Amino acid sequence: MRLFFTLAVFVIVSHSQGQNKQLLYNVNGLPQTLLLNPGANIDFDGHVGLPFFSGIHFAVGSSGVTAYDVFEDSPNINQRITNTMRRLTHKDYFTLHQQLEIFSLGWKWGRDKYISTGIYQEADAFSYFPKDPAILAREGNKDYIGVPFDFSHVSFTGEVLTVYHIGLNRKMDDRITVGARLKLYSGIFNVESVNNTGTFLTINTPDGPNYYRHFANDVDIRVNTSGFASLRDNNTTVQEATKDLIGRAFFGGNVGVGVDMGGTYKVRDNIVISGSVLDLGLMWQRDDVENYTYKGSYQTDGLEPLFPELGPDGKAIPYWDIFEDDVDRNLVDETLQESYVTWRPFKMNAAVEFIFGETFIPCDYRVETNRKHHSKLGVHLFGIKRPQDVKFALTTYYDRKFNSNLRMKVSYTLDDYSFSNVGLLLSTRLKSFNFYLAADNLIGYFNLAKSNYQSVQLGFQFIINKK
Amino acid sequence: MRIKTVLYLALAFLFFMGNVSCMKDIDFDQAGEITMQPEIQTDLLIFEVDQKDFVDPVTNSSKQIIRDTVRLEFLDDSYIQDDLEQVEFSFKYRNAFSQGFFNKISFLSENNALQHQVSFYIGGGSSGNPAVTEKIELIGPDRIQVIKRSIKMVVEIEVLPNNEPFSGKLNFESKGLFSFQF
Repeated sequence: MRLFFTLAVFVIVSHSQGQNKQLLYNVNGLPQTLLLNPGANIDFDGHVGLPFFSGIHFAVGSSGVTAYDVFEDSPNINQRITNTMRRLTHKDYFTLHQQLEIFSLGWKWGRDKYISTGIYQEADAFSYFPKDPAILAREGNKDYIGVPFDFSHVSFTGEVLTVYHIGLNRKMDDRITVGARLKLYSGIFNVESVNNTGTFLTINTPDGPNYYRHFANDVDIRVNTSGFASLRDNNTTVQEATKDLIGRAFFGGNVGVGVDMGGTYKVRDNIVISGSVLDLGLMWQRDDVENYTYKGSYQTDGLEPLFPELGPDGKAIPYWDIFEDDVDRNLVDETLQESYVTWRPFKMNAAVEFIFGETFIPCDYRVETNRKHHSKLGVHLFGIKRPQDVKFALTTYYDRKFNSNLRMKVSYTLDDYSFSNVGLLLSTRLKSFNFYLAADNLIGYFNLAKSNYQSVQLGFQFIINKK
Repeated sequence: MRIKTVLYLALAFLFFMGNVSCMKDIDFDQAGEITMQPEIQTDLLIFEVDQKDFVDPVTNSSKQIIRDTVRLEFLDDSYIQDDLEQVEFSFKYRNAFSQGFFNKISFLSENNALQHQVSFYIGGGSSGNPAVTEKIELIGPDRIQVIKRSIKMVVEIEVLPNNEPFSGKLNFESKGLFSFQF
């Protein structure tokens, strides 16, 4: 039970651009920046991640509700839930995002190219608040006569997958750096229910034939799943299921392909613009697929007994069975095994940076450094495609390299709901061993219950500089 | 010295995240109090009968009482059995016969044992001005078991003869307001 509440709180406490990693974007001393922009400027010659610990990212969010909104320490929790549900809209959403680098490696190739490769596991869940179905379930239709309940509010996606990637970063000249990354996706689980339609409506009918008339109009609801059906098999042992899951992580299940692209352009010596698009890709869900559909239209005024009680065959007329058959004919409920294609939630980053603070280089011919400035002030726009729209976040940041061992970045992010998201990145290097820790919405840590957004990223790796 | 500084900063950051972070002013024990209390308005039965329905199709003789039975299979479902708190039935007749009727609506169990009955008189009307008779029956939490034990709804209509010709239409409407607590 405690675990359930912990998870529920994590889902409730935060807000949402769960895949926004503004604190790592354009941090040219960290290999992870290449996963956000394969065409980023970097200042290292190689890297080797500590397996399973080089990149850990966790973010959860809820755009319109906090744990405090529901679990405030005062009476009437049910009234608060009702008020919260009425306040939320179907545009509000919940996210959960997790990423774990399993393996990460990179090396400089020639004078101007950098190869980076690796494997990471990713889980992403996103759901709009299904307002109308939730209100119908919680309050019923009594106070909503004449008000349609819209099933298009049901819209969610979820996936767990492993990503194998290799990227090339190339410095074209002093001003331009470009890069691309090829990604192969190996699906473990997928679920999606998007583009649903239909309404349920009850209207008053003062002219008869009954008090009300109930409508299910143009209902077309579909839930696609892959990777779930086989796990429901009661004959599957835990060992078999584990083996199956591991197999799927190594292309034993559904596969897909995608690319990242990006670039950096130095407009002037002190002004740099950069941009990237990530996960332009799709997955073919063909294995272990199950789809649940509910389609049709129907209306009813109630059951109509015919009098007399017995039919021509002398038996009681099965009105209820006739009604059920009629409903089933018009609102068709099916379970299918149809392949489907899912697009990855593509992301975009764009930033402009002002570079300043010239580094004082010791007057020593034996020491070389590529960095001429220690500070960057930037503006970063992040966007991610979700089923019904694109979610944006705008960040301003100050990035300062204090010395070869310490770098800090402070960010302030604006998005749909939060005006107080201050984040901090700390990246340290002890010889070639690097540790970074980044956390968003620091103010939220003082009381997570009132926070709409938290995310944490950390990692350990070896970063090699030949100079 | 610099390495120490770095370590101190990293530790301070970790300390901040690990120790400053907390949840205040909330009580998760309230989760046990969370309920859903939907109230569902739903149509039940409708019918329209006229004088022909009071004639036995086999013997062609007139009948004073007609009845029909409808199984309400949903009354057996778990959400009714476990979570129904109360139900408010509404029954409405529009009578264009000049005769009045006596109406009995019975709820029976699977083995036809009477669980609950609603009976009332339906006033006589005319074709141009049907008489409207409405009855609302609330079955609260103290009596809700009678509905949970029921599976059949029987409507029985008895003509109350008078000297006028027996001709007209009788319309029946019914609904239930089902209140749940999940």
